This record gives sequence, structure tokens and C-alpha cells, in this order.
Amino acid sequence: MLTNEEILRAKDRALAHLRSIYGDDAETIIADRRYGFISGVLKDVVKKPAIERLAWSDKIDRVIVNRWLGIPIFLAVMYGMFQFTFTLSAPLMDWISAGFDFIAVRAVGISPEWLGSLIGNGIIGGVGTVLTFIPPIFLLFIAIAVLEDSGYMARAAFVMDRLMHKVGLHGRSFIPMILGFGCNIPAIMATRTIENPRDRLITILINPLMSCGARLPIYILLAGAFFPAYRGLVVFSMYLIGIILAILMALIFRKWLLPGPIGHFVMELPPYRLPTITGVLVHMWERGKHFLIKAGTIIAGVVVLVWLLSSMPWGVQYAGPDSWIGHLGRFIAPIFAPCGFGQWQAAVSLFFGFLAKETVVGTMGAIFAVKEGSLGTAIASQLSWTPLVAFAFMVFSLLYVPCVATIATIKAETNSWKWPAFTIGYELALAWIMAALIYQIGSLLGLG
Amino acid sequence: MATKSLAQMRPKERGKITKVGGSGHTHRRILDMGVVPSTEVTVERVAPLGDPIEIKIKGYHLSLRKEEAVQIYVEMIER
Amino acid sequence: MTKKLNIALVGNPNSGKTTVFNNLTGTHQYVGNWPGVTVEKKEGTCRYQDYQITVADLPGVYSLTAYSLDEIIARDFIVEEKPDVVVDIVDAGNLERNLYLTVQLLEMGARLIVALNMMDEAGGRGYRIDLEHLSYHLGTPVVPMVASRNRGTQELLGQIARIAESRVPPSGLRIDYGREVEEEIEKLEDLISQSALSRLYPARWLAVKLLEEDEEVTKKFKEGNVD
Ligand SMILES: Nc1nc2c(ncn2[C@@H]2O[C@H](COP(=O)(O)OP(=O)(O)OP(=O)(O)O)[C@@H](O)[C@H]2O)c(=O)[nH]1
Ligand SMILES: [Mg+2]
Repeated sequence: MLTNEEILRAKDRALAHLRSIYGDDAETIIADRRYGFISGVLKDVVKKPAIERLAWSDKIDRVIVNRWLGIPIFLAVMYGMFQFTFTLSAPLMDWISAGFDFIAVRAVGISPEWLGSLIGNGIIGGVGTVLTFIPPIFLLFIAIAVLEDSGYMARAAFVMDRLMHKVGLHGRSFIPMILGFGCNIPAIMATRTIENPRDRLITILINPLMSCGARLPIYILLAGAFFPAYRGLVVFSMYLIGIILAILMALIFRKWLLPGPIGHFVMELPPYRLPTITGVLVHMWERGKHFLIKAGTIIAGVVVLVWLLSSMPWGVQYAGPDSWIGHLGRFIAPIFAPCGFGQWQAAVSLFFGFLAKETVVGTMGAIFAVKEGSLGTAIASQLSWTPLVAFAFMVFSLLYVPCVATIATIKAETNSWKWPAFTIGYELALAWIMAALIYQIGSLLGLG
Repeated sequence: MATKSLAQMRPKERGKITKVGGSGHTHRRILDMGVVPSTEVTVERVAPLGDPIEIKIKGYHLSLRKEEAVQIYVEMIER
Repeated sequence: MTKKLNIALVGNPNSGKTTVFNNLTGTHQYVGNWPGVTVEKKEGTCRYQDYQITVADLPGVYSLTAYSLDEIIARDFIVEEKPDVVVDIVDAGNLERNLYLTVQLLEMGARLIVALNMMDEAGGRGYRIDLEHLSYHLGTPVVPMVASRNRGTQELLGQIARIAESRVPPSGLRIDYGREVEEEIEKLEDLISQSALSRLYPARWLAVKLLEEDEEVTKKFKEGNVD
């Protein structure tokens, strides 16, 4: 019986022999011959028209990835995506919140009193507030689906590769970043296509900085209340801050944490295809249903807990400083004082936001027990926030900790607890530093 | 006939691959994607920031960086 | 009596595997027009005649030599799990590069069906494809499809059932690698056919893979030394 070692030795001899004749690796010869075989087959099988028409896909690319227009078009696509989301969602949100107002008014009358409070304050104030944001979140998913189905994703990677390469990443890393605007979980999974393990890890670590749909409610709520004239711009700025910090962190991680060469970029550009309505709706629903499930489970659970903590001990003023939640909040709040939002209500909202970022708004809704629309004003008056504080709070919400599900995904994809722990750590630090800088510098400049 | 590397070719130039240099994963990936000797390539365009490039090969569009393209030698085809 | 059947959908990235999977199983797995949408194995079932078919949708691969995690998942499933029938989803508008994988699957001795997808786009570009000749050259059934409009699904199922019933082992495909390479392949093949691995895979395929310096196959031989 022959040992495998002899086979491997025979292989090495064969390779050396072939290299001496061809001067090429055997793998080149083999690939060449396979393609040669295929060409032979296709000569007999395929008839192509004498002059190939320029496909419409190629014509589109003359503009989309044009030397001069490529980058402006990319920025316009991003801006258009958010404009589409906000413009279309505003009236829809008004309808939904009107609907909840209608129910809330009737809920107050329910006896016993505690049940009325649970439904009116807790459920409708909290879960209802979150559900008001269904339109922008679902529309955002639609916009991303159109990008995915049209074929633009690969072009974005092509256009951005150089820039990404400069900061130590990869054009390929850009696709998960855009997907992250929808949800970080599939985005982090999508990094599997990145061959180089270090490139992949960095792409995973920065992904939570990409502002996912769950953070949108916070921005829309606060931008609407504090920056009515510039709401679209302020929300868009959150996404830009996320991208800029992601690129900056990538640079830092590449330099000090995971140095090494960057993997190659060899990517196919598929032809453009017209997204179908069913295709896009299926996308929206597949991604969006997780939001609804979360609203019915984690968020509802947290909101009931918040309601309970706000109502205890018995007889206390609902969500007053002496309620249990008030105690919890006052315990955490001092940490945030340098950032401008050292009020206990802000602190508990961020605390519960650890689970899922929608709960930041849900918790506020339950504490202030008012629905969206008036929730913004309630925050402005009761917490006496200035636009500067609101902005710092938005930036903090953008950056601090990935949600629990994202943490679990990072764990699964990196196969260790080290990286999710690291992500939590650096994000907390980054969020705090950024929020404090914004508030402190802004105050110095008299913007407060 | 003029031979140059794929990275030196300008948009709309056409050529026939003579040699695919390099080694390791990148080399292998490029071969698998159909970049093999005696195949025709056309450079379609250069990305807005100057890199990567987009080529048309075997009837489809492929993008790769110049640092990968320098290893690929091409014999120019006159138009 | 129901008969069980395991099939795998393989093919280049973005060739329409998941679209076919959704058509077969009635699910709504994620589809998108960029390479690398599917990054994990997804399984579903469908019934056809008296078959209970387990369908695996895999990440796309350009070749049986895999590097990234998603490609490794696909490669391992094809090579290690050896599904009863392999359905190779081929983009008809991009035949040349897509057939590169097909050829490798045939060399491996997989029981293969070529699903020629995106026939609409190939037609739109004016390509005329002779299906019979293609089937003849490859030695496999070829099913034309337009998966995005659910065309060809029944025909594909028919072929799957037919090929599952046929008792003849797949003939495999022999590519002529040129005299010098063939000589080396032959020598290696002789040695390999005496080793245990040749009971699992065709000796010729293993020989070619060794010459390609395929890391996984080389590893198989190295590991074989231990016991
Ligand atoms: N025109 C046309 N488009 C198709 C057809 N089948 C699929 N598509 C489209 O091709 C794109 C890719 O389809 P997918 O099913 O995601 O391809 P896949 O092979 O699963 O891709 P990966 O998971 O990335 O490997 C999608 O935009 C589909 O809508 C077809 O027969 N004709
Ligand atoms: Mg897929």
C-alpha cells in the first residue's frame, strides 16, 4: 500500500517538471485548458449576433460610474435615499399617531385605574410611539432594496474602493456598510465574502457605527422637535457622522490593532436589472417584520417594565423622581452630565436602549406618557434641553453600543466574546467623547 | 506588436492576454474569473478616484485594482 | 411510498440560485442583484411526484477552490456532503465564465443538471443557444429557465426525478490538459488509485486538484497520513 506521502512527493516532482517545460504554474495551464475546452464547446453551441448591441446596462454605466460623475452620483443616491424616506413618511406617521391618540383617549377611561395607566401610559406611550416609526423604517428598507436589486451595490463598491483602500479597507467592505443603514445584523453577515480575515474583522467592528433603521426614531423625534427648519439635514448629518467615524476607526484599527496587507479586489459587476415591485416589497417585509416582532416582544416587555418601575412604589407620582425608575436614572445620570443630558429620564432611556435602540424612544414615551408629536415638546420643556443638547444626545445614541442582537451576531461571526466586548467598549468611549466634545465646544461657542 | 500590462492600458483599448503573473490567492482568483492567456480584454473605464479599473472579458464586466492588473500582460490589438 | 432526495443548488454568485430555491420551496429567501447575497447554507423542502426533496441553497462560487468563508461553506457542502443531485445554476448571458464551475463539477463526478437561467437576458442580447448540443458536449441534461418569472421550475423538477432514478453513474468529463500535463496526471492517478481517498473521489479529479495545488485536497492527503 502506498502512503499519501509518496503521492505528495510525486505531485511535487510533477509540478517541478511542468514548470521546467512551461515556465508557468500548472494551475495556469489547467485553468487555461478548461477555458479552452469551454471556448470549443461554445463555438458550437452559441451564436452571437455579428455586432453586439451595446446593452442598456453598459449605457447606464457610462454615466453612473463616470470618471467625473461617479462620486457626485453616489452622494446624490445616498441623499436621495433619505429624502425619499423622510418626505414620504411624514404624512403616514401623522396618520398613525392620530390613530394612537384616538385609542389613548379612550384608554384613560378604563377601570381599574392601573390598567388604564398601563395601556394609556405604558403600552400606547411606549410601544405606540415606536410603531409610529413604521413608515420611515419600512421606506428605508424599500430604498435599500432598490439599491440591492438594481445592481448599484457593486458599482458603489467599485467607486469607493480607492477611498476604502486608503483607510486600510476594501471596496467590498462598502457593501456591508450600506446594508448597515437598514440593519447591522445582515450587514455583518455579508462580510463573509471578504477573503482576508483582518479586512473582514475590521469591517465587522466598524459596522455598528453605520446608523441602522432602529436609530431613526430617535433622530426623527428630536430633529423634529429641536430643528424643525433643518430636520432633514440634521438626520442626514447623523448618517454622515456615522460614516466618517467608521472610516476613521477603520484607519485606527488597521494601523494599531490589525496591521497587515489588504486583500485583493477582484469583483464582478453584474448587469443592471429593473427591480420588481414584488421583489422590493418582499425585501421590505422580510427585513421589516423583525422590527414589528421586536416591537411586540423586547420593546413591549421593556415598556411594561418601565411602566412598572415608574409606578412603584405604590402611590408615587407616575415617573416622578422618587419612583423606582427615578432612582435608577438618578444613579446613572451623573455620567452624562458632561454631555449635557444628565437628566435621569435621558439616562434610563439610554440604559434600556442597550437592548434595542428603538427602546430609547419607547422608554421616553412611557416616562413622559405622551405620544409622538407632543413627546418632542415634552422633552424640550420638561428636560429643558437646548438644540445643542438634543444634538449631542442624538450623536450619543448613534454611537453607543450595538443592540443585543448585533452583539450576538458579532460573537457568532468572530467566534469569540473578545470582539463583541471590544466593540461595546470602544463604542461607549467614542459615544461619550463625541457627545461631550459637541456639548462642551458648542457651549463655549455659545450654541447652547 | 506592442505588449504592456493591463494596468497601463487606457479605456477603450483592446488586447489579448499573453501572461498572467503573480501567485497565491489573487493569481488563482484572477484565473478562475476567466483572465487566462489568449483571452481578449477591453478596458472599459477607470474608477473616479483612479483605481480600480473595469474590464470586459469573456462577455462580462470585471473590476480589479491596478496592483492586480500590473501582473497581467497584454498584446495590443489595433483597431 | 415517498422517496427522499437531497439536492444542492450551486453556481456562480448572482446566477439566480436563491431565486430558483424560492421557486422550488415557496419561500422568500433574500435575493439581490450583486454577487454574494447568500452567505450561508439554507435548506428547504419540496414535493414532486413521490419524492420528498430537500433543497440546499448555497453561496455562490466561481470555482471549487474556495477562499472566503461563504465560498468555503458552498465548497464543503458540494465536496464533503455529496448531495444526490447537484443543480448547477448557470447564467445563460454569461456562459463562458459560468461553465468553468460546471466543468469542475463534472470532473468531480457530480450527478449534475445544468439549469440554464436568465434565458430572457441571453435572448435579449441576441444570443442563440443550442441546448441539445450543449447537453451533448457536457453529457448532462440542460434545462432552460427564467427563474425571476418562475419559468422552467417544473421541467427542472422533472429532470431531477429522472436523473435520480437513472442507475448509471455519472460519466464525468475528461478534459485534455495537453500531453505533458496528461502524462503527469496519469502517473499521479496510478498512485492515487491505490490510496483510500480514491474510493471517495475520482482518482483523476484528485490528481488534477493536486496539480492545481488545491489546499483542501492537499490537506486531505496530508491528513490521510496520520492514520
Ligand atoms: N432577468 C433575469 N433575472 C434573474 C433571473 N433569475 C434571477 N434573476 C435576478 O438575478 C439576481 C440574482 O438572483 P439571486 O437569486 O439572488 O442569485 P444568487 O445566485 O442566489 O446570488 P448569490 O446569493 O449572490 O450567489 C436578482 O436580481 C434576480 O432577480 C432570470 O431568469 N432572469
Ligand atoms: Mg443567493
